[in-house]
Amino acid sequence: MRQLAVLIISLFIFIPALSQTKDGCYNCHKDVGDKTAELYSGDVHFKLGISCADCHGGDRTSDDMEIAMSKEKGFIGIPKGGKIIDVCLRCHSDDVVMKKFNSKIDVNQFKLFKASVHGKSEIATCVTCHSVHNIKKVSDPASPVYPTSEVKLCSRCHSDANYMKRFNPGLPTDQFEKYKTSVHGQRILKGDVKVATCSDCHSAHDIFKANDPRSTVFAPNLPKTCAKCHSDADYMRGYKIPTDQYEKYVQSVHGKALLEKGDLSAPACNDCHGNHGAVPPGVKSISHVCGVCHALNAEMFSRSPHAEVFEKKKIPQCEICHGNHLIERPTDEMLGVSTKSTCIKCHREEERGFEVAKQMKDMIDTLVVRASKARAILDEAEFKGMDVSDARYEMNDVPQILIKARTVIHTANLDEFKETIEPGYEIVDRVIKAGLDAIYEYYFRRWGLGISTLIITVLVIALYLKIKQIEKKK
Amino acid sequence: MENQKSSRRNFLGYILGFGFLGWFISVLYPIVRYIIPPKMPEAKVKSIKVGKVDDFKPGTGTIFKFGNKPGILLRLESGEFRAFSAVCTHLDCTVQYRGDMKAIWCACHNGVYDLNGRNISGPPPRPLEAFRVIVRGDEIYISKEG
Amino acid sequence: MAKFGEKLFNWFDERYKIRGFIEFMSHKSVPQHRHSIWYYFGGVSLFLFIIQVITGILLLLYYRVGEDSSYESVQFIVSKVKFGWLIRSIYSWSANLMILAVFIHMFSVYFTKAYRKPRELTWVTGFLLLTLSLTFGFSGYLLPWNELAFFATKVGTEIIGSIPVIGKELLIIVRGGEDVTGATLSRFFGLHVAILPGIFTVILFIHLLFVQIQGMSEPPEWEKLPPEKRKYIPFFPNFLLRDLLLWLIILNILAILAVFFPWDLGKKADPFAPAPAGIKPEWYFLFMYQTLKLLPPKVLFIEGEFFGVLVFTIAGILWLLVPFWDVKTEKGYRNRLINYIGLFVLIYMITMTILGYVLS
Repeated sequence: MRQLAVLIISLFIFIPALSQTKDGCYNCHKDVGDKTAELYSGDVHFKLGISCADCHGGDRTSDDMEIAMSKEKGFIGIPKGGKIIDVCLRCHSDDVVMKKFNSKIDVNQFKLFKASVHGKSEIATCVTCHSVHNIKKVSDPASPVYPTSEVKLCSRCHSDANYMKRFNPGLPTDQFEKYKTSVHGQRILKGDVKVATCSDCHSAHDIFKANDPRSTVFAPNLPKTCAKCHSDADYMRGYKIPTDQYEKYVQSVHGKALLEKGDLSAPACNDCHGNHGAVPPGVKSISHVCGVCHALNAEMFSRSPHAEVFEKKKIPQCEICHGNHLIERPTDEMLGVSTKSTCIKCHREEERGFEVAKQMKDMIDTLVVRASKARAILDEAEFKGMDVSDARYEMNDVPQILIKARTVIHTANLDEFKETIEPGYEIVDRVIKAGLDAIYEYYFRRWGLGISTLIITVLVIALYLKIKQIEKKK
Repeated sequence: MENQKSSRRNFLGYILGFGFLGWFISVLYPIVRYIIPPKMPEAKVKSIKVGKVDDFKPGTGTIFKFGNKPGILLRLESGEFRAFSAVCTHLDCTVQYRGDMKAIWCACHNGVYDLNGRNISGPPPRPLEAFRVIVRGDEIYISKEG
Repeated sequence: MAKFGEKLFNWFDERYKIRGFIEFMSHKSVPQHRHSIWYYFGGVSLFLFIIQVITGILLLLYYRVGEDSSYESVQFIVSKVKFGWLIRSIYSWSANLMILAVFIHMFSVYFTKAYRKPRELTWVTGFLLLTLSLTFGFSGYLLPWNELAFFATKVGTEIIGSIPVIGKELLIIVRGGEDVTGATLSRFFGLHVAILPGIFTVILFIHLLFVQIQGMSEPPEWEKLPPEKRKYIPFFPNFLLRDLLLWLIILNILAILAVFFPWDLGKKADPFAPAPAGIKPEWYFLFMYQTLKLLPPKVLFIEGEFFGVLVFTIAGILWLLVPFWDVKTEKGYRNRLINYIGLFVLIYMITMTILGYVLS
């Protein structure tokens, strides 16, 4: 059985090898010591019996150089620019030909490449990445697009500031440098080929700009791209990190904003972890990372008594209360001293922090309750047909004051908090008064009507009697 | 008998007289109140007067009410006026002018707009809606049509 | 005091001979019979018209016509101006009640055949007043520039476009452009507050003058009655006091309607928004609108809509000319045909109006 297998495999290897001996181009070029021909013997195409003439044209059966490399026989010499692509896609875009070689390579590669950001022949062709005459399978460590080599391959252009200026002066050229600082980069330098390289995130042939919705690194697409590996428990086995980040992120306030509402300003994985330099943010840098968007919260936190204590005790700043991947919309429940509160994780009764948390929570609850009461009054007034649009306008400020107050919590400073929230009470008071005035006006109208109806009724009766009187007189 | 009749007639006359007077007042009162113009300025959404030129120092921003939404009037260091809707395009917070940043800033999520109202950093997805500022004499008017 | 009044009276009489007029008025009488209740509807219409004039002028104090001020100023009136809600609601309610009163007035005159000689021209001026009232209603409906009014006007004016040859041009003239825009609003406003009131007042004056000169019409049956069996009440003060009584009641009804059913302003018109469901003209146009809707697209080689317009126009002209072709009544015969036609028209209008509300 085993012998049979060896026989079949050796047949597959030798039959094409034998056939090469009939290839006039290869034989002749090899004989004259052409380095290209020597190189080609290691090429994946050579092993499949593809002749020089299959790419360069001409007649491989002829021994006469004049005939073999004549235009009549279709010789094209060294293809340049777009011609290179034409040569490759003659086979690689034709699934019939590719099937003949039992290839599983996607025949759409060229179409994808053409549409991509590199799709102009003066930027890159097939050989720019896959090399020429020495093309190896992607899984072959000798291939220039094998993971360990690929990062260097891409950086050949992308780290060359002078070169990149010609195409996209605005694009940074430090991706490779950053990549080397990332967990991915560190590992690949140690030879771990399972980690993400350029093409794992950016894809290979269909690379688009990061702000192109077709791109695999376009913000709403990015979490899935990362999840390809990071949510695959089998694949990630051995790295000792959780694989539920994506699942959690999708349910988080950020994930919902980005993926459901399409809010491009919401952070994807890279906004916290970095792009090319992807690492988990350190304990100290969390508030800085979050503070990029949540500026006030971060600034206020940094001057709170918490900042110092957290640093000393190595407590992850924002994360301790808000979590990391599953950051839900914060609720007022997180504040205060109830069982759902995060404050009581550290603070105990009769402590000052406990008191502050309790008071802050009470004040926010009061404003929320009174604001909803004010809204109910306005609703009632509107239901009664009264116009309270001015009061409604004033109400606009209340949610904003609530946002501010909920931000000021991060200072843990009760005075500052009171200063922020108190205008809210004043507004609500005024709105409630305006609403009640409107409702009062509604009843005033009815009273006015009642009085005038009474007057008219009396008048009508008197007039009726008068008419009777006049008619009786006659 | 005759007396009684005439007193009844008199009584009816009084009722009629006072009734008409009362009725007349109850008709006239709303009309007079209606004619007296209300203290509030007339509802104008398209353009409003925000104040005098001297009320605004160069390098400041002021929030004003435009219809039922807030607007922001900037006076640049150069003395030029600009006005925008003050509703942040991210989550509808009210933006403010930050002299230190020389920018319009939203406190909620650190959104920053430049002094042309363009969103230059942070989460805001769109620029602020621009209003037209008209300086007539020393009065400043703001109108919606840019 | 009394002396002063007398002096004043004499002063006027010397110059304007008002004594004769007073004499004439004091002898004026109103026939009294089982149908005399219908005499009051003319007065009711007049009273509602007066309310229209007063409240209309009051609204003009704050109303500012224009695409971006009409709606806002009406909103300002109803929300910010003291009693503005009351004035506007009374205005809208009395406008609708006035149309209703005018219709009742017309049908009562028709069925009691009060239009017959010598009152043909009273009928004609009355009919003109009715059409003017309808035009008032149509032009006024657009003025708040709200969604319903905007689309109702769009649909309503579109009918004009169905007239062959000149329809298109006519539509542009009416709308002040291809579409219902701010230009239409200005046009309708001018029509509503300047042109129509002017014409209306003149015709109304003539109409009232005719009534005063000729007095109230007596029912046809009275011609066979001996004079002593005909009952009259003096116009002044008896009839006038009754009128006044009714007017007071109506004013109170208006106030009640205004407080309990304030006239809705709705949303501001947005020409680019899709038409909301259930766009209908005012109730008094509904029978015409519904008829046009039910007509097939083609009737006898002419477009259905135009056919409808044509029929309504011819019917209107025939209606206007009733006193001239109804020769039987004039000669003292009972003309049942008139009753049948009137009944048919009345039932047709009511049915179509109901259908208009039910079918949509």
